[in-house]
Amino acid sequence: MQQRRVIDQIETNRILLNGQLNTPKWWLPTVLGLGFIVIIGFVIIGFMVNRGLGVTGLSRPVYWGLFITTFVFWVGISHAGIMISAILRLTQAEWRRPVTRAAELLTVFSLLTALIFPLVHAGRPWRIAYWILPYDFARGIFPNIRSPLIMDPVAISTYLTGSTLFLYVALLPDLGNLRDRTKGWQKALYTILALGWRGNPRQWQLQTVGGILLSALMLPIFVSVHSIVSWDFAVTPAVEGWHSTIFAPYFVIGAVHSGVSAVVTMMALMRWLWKWDDFIRPEHFDALARLLIVVATAWLGFTFLELIFAVYSLDAPEIALRELQIFAWPWNIMFIVFLFTGYIIPVGMWLFKSVRSNIALMFWTSLFVNIGMWLERFMIIVPGLSRRTPFVYTWDSYRPSMVEWSILVWSVAWVTFLMLLFSRFFPLIPLFEQKESQVFVDSIKIGRVNVPAILREQE
Amino acid sequence: MADRSILGLFQEAEPAADAMDGLAKAGFEPGSFDVLTGTPYPEGAFGEHVPQHRLFRFPAFGAIIGFTTSILITAGTQMAFPMVTGGKPILSLFAMIIIMYEMTMLAAVIATVIGIIFESRLPNLNPGAYDERITEGWIGVVISVDSTRSQEAESVLKGAGALEIKHAS
Amino acid sequence: MATSSAIAGHSAAEEHAAPHNSDKGHVVLRPEEITSTLVATTSAGASKFKRWALILALLTVVGIVGLVLKLIQDIDHQERWGYLAATIGFLLTVGGGAPLIAVAPVLAKSNWVRPLTRLSAAFSLIGIVTILFTIPMLFVLPPLVVDGARRRTIWFESPDYTPHMFIMLGLATLLLAGFGLFYSSALPDFAAMRDHSTGWRQRLGKTMARGWVGTTVQWRTLRMRIGMFGTFYFLVLIYVHFLYSTDFAISMVPGWRDAIFPMYHSMSSIQAGVAIAILTAWAARRYLGLQDYLRLDQFWSLGRLLFASSLLWVYFFFSAFIVFWYGRGEADKAWVDMFIRGPMIWAFLPGMFMAFLVPWWWLVWNRVRTSVNGPAIGAVIVLFGLLLDRIKIYVSSWAVPPDQIHDKYLMEIPRTVWPNAFDYMIIVGGISASALVMLLVFRAIPVISIWQAQEYQLLSKPVKFIRGHGVLVAKPD
Repeated sequence: MQQRRVIDQIETNRILLNGQLNTPKWWLPTVLGLGFIVIIGFVIIGFMVNRGLGVTGLSRPVYWGLFITTFVFWVGISHAGIMISAILRLTQAEWRRPVTRAAELLTVFSLLTALIFPLVHAGRPWRIAYWILPYDFARGIFPNIRSPLIMDPVAISTYLTGSTLFLYVALLPDLGNLRDRTKGWQKALYTILALGWRGNPRQWQLQTVGGILLSALMLPIFVSVHSIVSWDFAVTPAVEGWHSTIFAPYFVIGAVHSGVSAVVTMMALMRWLWKWDDFIRPEHFDALARLLIVVATAWLGFTFLELIFAVYSLDAPEIALRELQIFAWPWNIMFIVFLFTGYIIPVGMWLFKSVRSNIALMFWTSLFVNIGMWLERFMIIVPGLSRRTPFVYTWDSYRPSMVEWSILVWSVAWVTFLMLLFSRFFPLIPLFEQKESQVFVDSIKIGRVNVPAILREQE
Repeated sequence: MADRSILGLFQEAEPAADAMDGLAKAGFEPGSFDVLTGTPYPEGAFGEHVPQHRLFRFPAFGAIIGFTTSILITAGTQMAFPMVTGGKPILSLFAMIIIMYEMTMLAAVIATVIGIIFESRLPNLNPGAYDERITEGWIGVVISVDSTRSQEAESVLKGAGALEIKHAS
Repeated sequence: MATSSAIAGHSAAEEHAAPHNSDKGHVVLRPEEITSTLVATTSAGASKFKRWALILALLTVVGIVGLVLKLIQDIDHQERWGYLAATIGFLLTVGGGAPLIAVAPVLAKSNWVRPLTRLSAAFSLIGIVTILFTIPMLFVLPPLVVDGARRRTIWFESPDYTPHMFIMLGLATLLLAGFGLFYSSALPDFAAMRDHSTGWRQRLGKTMARGWVGTTVQWRTLRMRIGMFGTFYFLVLIYVHFLYSTDFAISMVPGWRDAIFPMYHSMSSIQAGVAIAILTAWAARRYLGLQDYLRLDQFWSLGRLLFASSLLWVYFFFSAFIVFWYGRGEADKAWVDMFIRGPMIWAFLPGMFMAFLVPWWWLVWNRVRTSVNGPAIGAVIVLFGLLLDRIKIYVSSWAVPPDQIHDKYLMEIPRTVWPNAFDYMIIVGGISASALVMLLVFRAIPVISIWQAQEYQLLSKPVKFIRGHGVLVAKPD
């Protein structure tokens, strides 16, 4: 875990601030290309709002389809940030250092994207304002807090606010650094944002203690958010496959699985695009892959429990649904793809150290995981709704329209666009954390061997 | 009344610690001088007085505010429009718990962030003497003095091996 | 690099170390000192040991007598066996979860766990007690098929005797895996007993050490075995919790479909394991004088784990509760009526208080967590809470009359089943037998791993850092 070359602070600044001080040539064409896709996506959303939800494939009985799947998917991706940043900070894992900020950023932007989906799903999005705020005091219509559809935005907004503030607070030292490295309007911008950061022991102590405190506060929020999202489905007894007690931890562990895999994807791209080979090293991918093996296996265990208790119920509609999900076309193909891409291929490969240390393979397997996890959410939501039940007069199977697929593609482009835009102004790897690791690193001579060591402060 | 800020710049940690020792020996108040670094060092590494903070009060205070507000909102909205939905009681405690939990945590987090910024003494509108090379690995020892003792402070810093001295008012 | 020039010579380590018998900081101990101190703990306080062993043995006999008398009196009354099921559930929860302390932090390469690995792994041996107490249950477990109708079970088309066979197989495999984990990590210490103790301890050490001399190959094989047995133990533990919780609880209540329950059972096992590790460490520190080995760091870290696992208890509980409370189907309402506001409310409310509310409010304070006694008090409260929790689950489940087990859902909430004298005897006997096993184990081998303590001293050095003090901790790959 200690393959590194010694890099002084000046070189660290030069390499990790290259996005802000010496923007790479590929940045502008990429951002413009993504921006174009983003604009097209907004136009399509506008078209859908104008024409109504009829342009999608949604209809009785499948009211929730690709949009809600993608909403849950992006909330899931957002769980990587706190998982890596908070848990690894609390356990003092050294290998978290290059990953924390990018993961927190992914959290913020994927949550923002996730929030857009219920908005566009409403059909008449402007009415959401009435739903959140009291309509008028004379009539006294308030949001129904008993509904998971109210609990959801409250939880996601809490997580979004907390993550954004956490990101900003942890950014303060690097804003000070950028203030010192720039001139003109950029210097003025960073001076304001840095709030006069100087780097005295008080400020550093508050960074450390505050970081630990915020991590400890954000962790319960992180667990609660996706649990509350899962309760959108789990509290409903009317839909087969939904009313299960295991949904909360199942969704959370699935979110960690897809989120951490997304971080692996992002880290590989960061290393390749910004040439951060000295900071994002194979040992980080190795550590993340080992974490993912544990998380993925736990996720598989939860999947197994969910399936076995579905059949345990001996409830005919429930069993019919599971037969539909596993054996009936096209769900059977999706089931096989989801199982292979979500677990069998990635975890099978990650068992080998040569794969874990191979960044290209880690990149592709992490993409596989997210394809599988998107399919998992799709298979939870749609088959249960599309079953044939009494008093349902239409039972066409659901086919997402081009409008829905386009908005899915828009969401991926949107998140990437925002990340790249951020990278132009703020560093994706926390510089002070990298420099801190070099202060705290030394070695102990045991016999003939110099064993790498970390300095821990005495209590 | 301290009206000058003097910064001594060092490239190594040991001389910077010597400068801190020297300033303390010369009788300067512990709160008037400080060390500036571009990366965190272990507490007490430069022999500085370990700062005391009250950060832990902020999340507690925020949580109380959030908890109280959330009870008022959840109970108030349910009682204002008392409609039975899904067979649940008008005051559905378990649904309320979820919203109350989130709002309590939100208030605690916001209060913590305010606490971090406040306890860090930010925003700092009068930062005093500073040098951009601190974020390049140099270590600064900065002292706020009145003009009568500025020469003495400067000589302590130079005596410890400061490579450069900067001033600010 | 600034660090190299700032760190003083390692030969000056002792002057930067904490004094002996202080709670904080790093204590420097020589390898021979470690060996002699820890080997001596196996024979320390002989009279006290004999007194406690006798008391625990007597209480164990009381438990066995209670079991036999219950078999004679209540063999045909399935509803009265809930307390035995709860006792087994509790022993599985505590004894099963504790060895995970020896597994997870070790895989995460944490140093604070080193003094705790032996005492944690040893808890797997109380699987002997669990198996013995489970045997009578196999005679009273209701059949899966009655009058051609199969009740809801995870054994869909399997033979009628399936739950019995697999639970015994599971418990036996868990015991073997736990013993493998314990023994594979104890080899070097058995060698230390062979070389530094006398009498039967020396003979036992020689037999169990199997020629251990400490070659590079032996050390490498040791680490590999610990990793393998640790992983295997964890998987088997989850499986056994799944089997026991479904066959002995969920399946006994018609209409109770609860996919999270096995995980809830497993998670509370981790909570119980942390609690018992804290208690055992506290007792070892106090009664064996091991302040230099079991320091604030261990209690602080375990205290945090106990706090986190108490939060996870309520998370798993609420995840099930909210689905049933919200759903309001017939089976959902029956669950709430039976387990929350029904006949065992006297066990549910205090159980919830002690498993979650009280430890949460106790351990949330920094001063409590950063002390030795604070986490220990929290641990006692948690263990009581989890015992009540198991009673709530299993006594309620077994109280459902046999003629109702095959119904679609629970239509009549059973009345409260209060413990009789035999139940008290069984609970006391089960816990005493487990404590006796642990007491006997630690007379044969030290409660703290000698080689782990020595390795930590090898890999860590207190140093001066500019004007401060720190500990350099090596991180070999």
